[in-house]
Amino acid sequence: MGGKTDVWQGTLALMVLKTLEAMGPQHGYGIARRIEQTSGHRITLNYGTLYPALLKLEQEGAVTAEWGTSENNRKAKFYALTKDGRKQIARASREWAATTAIIERFMSPQQS
Amino acid sequence: MATMRPGLADRELDQELQSHLQLHIDEHVRRGTPPVEARRLALIEAGGLEWAKEAVRDRRGVRWIEQLMRDGQYGLRFLRRSPGFTVAAVLSLALGIGANTAIFSIIDRLMLKPLPISDPQRLAQIFATGDRVNFTNPIWEQYRARPELAESLAAYASADFNMADRGRTDLVKGMWVSGRFFDVFGVRPLLGRSLRPSDDQRGGGADGPVAVISEQFWRARLNADPAILGRRLSVEHVTFTVVGVTPAPFFGPSVGTRFDVLVPLATEALIRGKQSALDRRSSWWLRVVARLRPDQSVEQLSAAVAAAQPEIRLATLPGDWSVKELPKYLEQPAHAVGAARGGQSYFRSQYRDALMAVMVVVAFVLLIACVNIANLLLARADARAHELSVRLALGASRARLVRQLLVESSLLSLAGGGLALLFAGWSSRVLVAQLSTWGDPIDIDLTLDWRVLGFTAAVAAGMTLLFGLAPALRATRVEAADALRERGRSARGHARWGVASALLVMQVALCLALVVAAGLFARTFTSLAGRPLGFDASHLLTVTLSMPPSDQRDNAARLDRYQRARDAIVSVPGVRQAALSVLTPFSNFQWQSVIDKNDAPSLSEERREYWVNAVGPGWFETVGTARHAGQDVSAATTAKGPADVVVNDAFVRQLLPGRNPIGQLLHDAGDPGTPGDARTIVGVVGDALYDSIRDEAPATMYLPIEKMGLPATEIVLNIRMADDPPASVATDLATAISAATPELSFSFRPMVEQVSARLVRERTVALLSTFFGALALLLAGLGLFGVVSYSVGRRRTEIGIRLALGARPSSVVRLIGTRVAVLVGGGLVAGLALSWWAAKFAGALLFGLTPTDPATFVGAACVLGLVGLAAAAIPAIRASRTDAASVLREG
Repeated sequence: MGGKTDVWQGTLALMVLKTLEAMGPQHGYGIARRIEQTSGHRITLNYGTLYPALLKLEQEGAVTAEWGTSENNRKAKFYALTKDGRKQIARASREWAATTAIIERFMSPQQS
Repeated sequence: MATMRPGLADRELDQELQSHLQLHIDEHVRRGTPPVEARRLALIEAGGLEWAKEAVRDRRGVRWIEQLMRDGQYGLRFLRRSPGFTVAAVLSLALGIGANTAIFSIIDRLMLKPLPISDPQRLAQIFATGDRVNFTNPIWEQYRARPELAESLAAYASADFNMADRGRTDLVKGMWVSGRFFDVFGVRPLLGRSLRPSDDQRGGGADGPVAVISEQFWRARLNADPAILGRRLSVEHVTFTVVGVTPAPFFGPSVGTRFDVLVPLATEALIRGKQSALDRRSSWWLRVVARLRPDQSVEQLSAAVAAAQPEIRLATLPGDWSVKELPKYLEQPAHAVGAARGGQSYFRSQYRDALMAVMVVVAFVLLIACVNIANLLLARADARAHELSVRLALGASRARLVRQLLVESSLLSLAGGGLALLFAGWSSRVLVAQLSTWGDPIDIDLTLDWRVLGFTAAVAAGMTLLFGLAPALRATRVEAADALRERGRSARGHARWGVASALLVMQVALCLALVVAAGLFARTFTSLAGRPLGFDASHLLTVTLSMPPSDQRDNAARLDRYQRARDAIVSVPGVRQAALSVLTPFSNFQWQSVIDKNDAPSLSEERREYWVNAVGPGWFETVGTARHAGQDVSAATTAKGPADVVVNDAFVRQLLPGRNPIGQLLHDAGDPGTPGDARTIVGVVGDALYDSIRDEAPATMYLPIEKMGLPATEIVLNIRMADDPPASVATDLATAISAATPELSFSFRPMVEQVSARLVRERTVALLSTFFGALALLLAGLGLFGVVSYSVGRRRTEIGIRLALGARPSSVVRLIGTRVAVLVGGGLVAGLALSWWAAKFAGALLFGLTPTDPATFVGAACVLGLVGLAAAAIPAIRASRTDAASVLREG
């Protein structure tokens, strides 16, 4: 572990999972839009970043994928969170919170 | 997640990306952007569809590699934790695969690999008839005059050339080749030029007699002389000029030999002079090869050759064939055969059957190794049943587990295969060295190449699948419910012992068969090698003296020269005695004759046959054949009247039973119409072997050397050396002969070498079977060791409990030992039965033993029993030393 890409992919995975948790089953376009919105348009996702991440989540068993129809009757592949996925969110959130807390102590002025 | 076929997955991905794009475009259009512009914007934001697909594909690939690497690490860790198992498995694989690879590499070089020339598929060999490859030169000249038969035609013959001007012969491997030899084989010279049709003239071409040498000869014997082109060499007393050097990879048309010097075919007349075979219509000594035209097939060449045959044969009718036989000459059908792997080779025909048989034996050994590994893998899978069932219960897919176990097996195969290559390299060299004899050295290039590597990899992979898959499938068939039964390290039942036991019994049986074979062949060889010869081969040196081809003397004058040579060397320090003879035992020369019917009317023609040698006085004493009665062959014999001859005991028994042989007058049968020579027996000597080491000594008559009746171009000087001759004796002899008779060429050969050359096949078979028998023993021992170690390991708890309850260590040993003894015993019984049945086939190869020789069988069983005992003893004794307390703590 440790490359910039790994960290980035890890956080992107968490973002995707959180999105699915909030929105329920969603297709790739929807996930991308939502992530962009949530990040205040500070992140733009291209297909080459998003889809490998979705595949990895599927391989790990955190999401399942199924073909369905979108709101405007387009055929699309929908991703849904699995039980494993929820566990992964819980675990990642805990780790993230812990890391943030530690960094916080370094960033803010000396406090007891 | 179900894995999809890549094509399907790609199409789905494409659809998904397109759908994403479409949704995006819809969004833009909803906001009022015109459709074309909307599409453009969406594509920009997509960031390259092809690249996206690549990224996803990479991710798919990475997944596999990640899993594989994880499996590999896991496997390595497991193998390290059980060193006994790993070592046993890797060694078994290395030995089994290595032996097969060694034999394969030899078979490949001798029989399968195409010649290292350009386009070997275009090469064809022409057969005079049936399976005979030799032609006469007149026939060859007829072929040469028909260039339309193929793109190019060539003829060649091999011979040993004497490069020494005088004195001791310096023989090199030579070939006579016709003008287009280089064209047919597509060889480009390394230096200088190739031989051409213009060189192939009877007196030499425009450049006189020219020769081409091989790169090896140039480097090894001529020190890579930079001025090699134009250098003169003496070949059979004729001066040739070197005009070219052939590159090292080209070794000639015959696999197994290399050539040193090539000379044009027509110069045979210069070398052999009056004895030239160039115009002899009955000397069959040349081989003919052709390079096919690009549009020509071998069948077409064959047909063309067959069509030209009658004309060719008519033009070359031999004058000395009987009228009855002439039609056969005219009708012999010629044909052509593809020769991509070289034409008929001496070694190929000699060793093909032996090597194929060896391949079968070695496959046997591999089988034993396989059984070993299967057993080990089963034992290991058994031990991990608990772990595997837990993982299955937790949701791991069976395919995943099987894949992981296969990765472990592959690691073993990789290690085993690598070691196998090393072992194969060493053992194939040793084997070829053993098969080479003094007169017929085998020269093949055994360096590793892709074919051998490929073979090794294929065998290793095959074994991985064969013996990794079954145990893996078996192990993962464990019901998940097992895991819930909280077995921990408790003692298990012996349910799975059944298969393992059966495999072990089979292994012991196979091993015993091989050991019995080894015993039989080794004893055959030692009996043959120790067989009394009827003469004393130790310290006996044979020197072949030859007249130069240009010599004009008559027989009597030649004999006189030979005698002079003999007299000269008798006074050389280190020489005890010397005598002349026409031939020596085991020299592949057979001289036979028949006694006239009138002299032995009651005997059949077969019983009247006898063998002949012509010797000088003192020969019997020199070679160490005992004289039993009468006189020796005498020095001076009258030209007329019956010759005074000596016969051996076998002759007396066969032809003159019950009579006193001394003084008997006998006649040779002679040709029909002419009376045979008369002979008077003046002495009797002991029996001595003639040309066969297996058969009894034949009835032999020894003529005085003056009566040998053949042109005396060559004679043998037999020298009995003192027990401890001075180191310089060879040079002293050479000097003495050269001084006394400078025109003679001579070559030395110790008699013991001549005798042992006869035993090559027996020696090789004995060596190989002993080697493989030992290998089989090692493998069986390893296998037993591995399996017992494992079973002991699984029963640690049980053993610990027993010891804690007060059992003595020896009872533990007995516990384990009994089980092993039963298995090994069963294997021995099965093996004895197998050997009994298989031994029938070896009957012809044995000597002095019946195929079911009891001593050998019993001996083999004892050896195997001991090995089994040792192999099982180590883990058993270790088990008895188990620290009971620590085991119970773990449980």
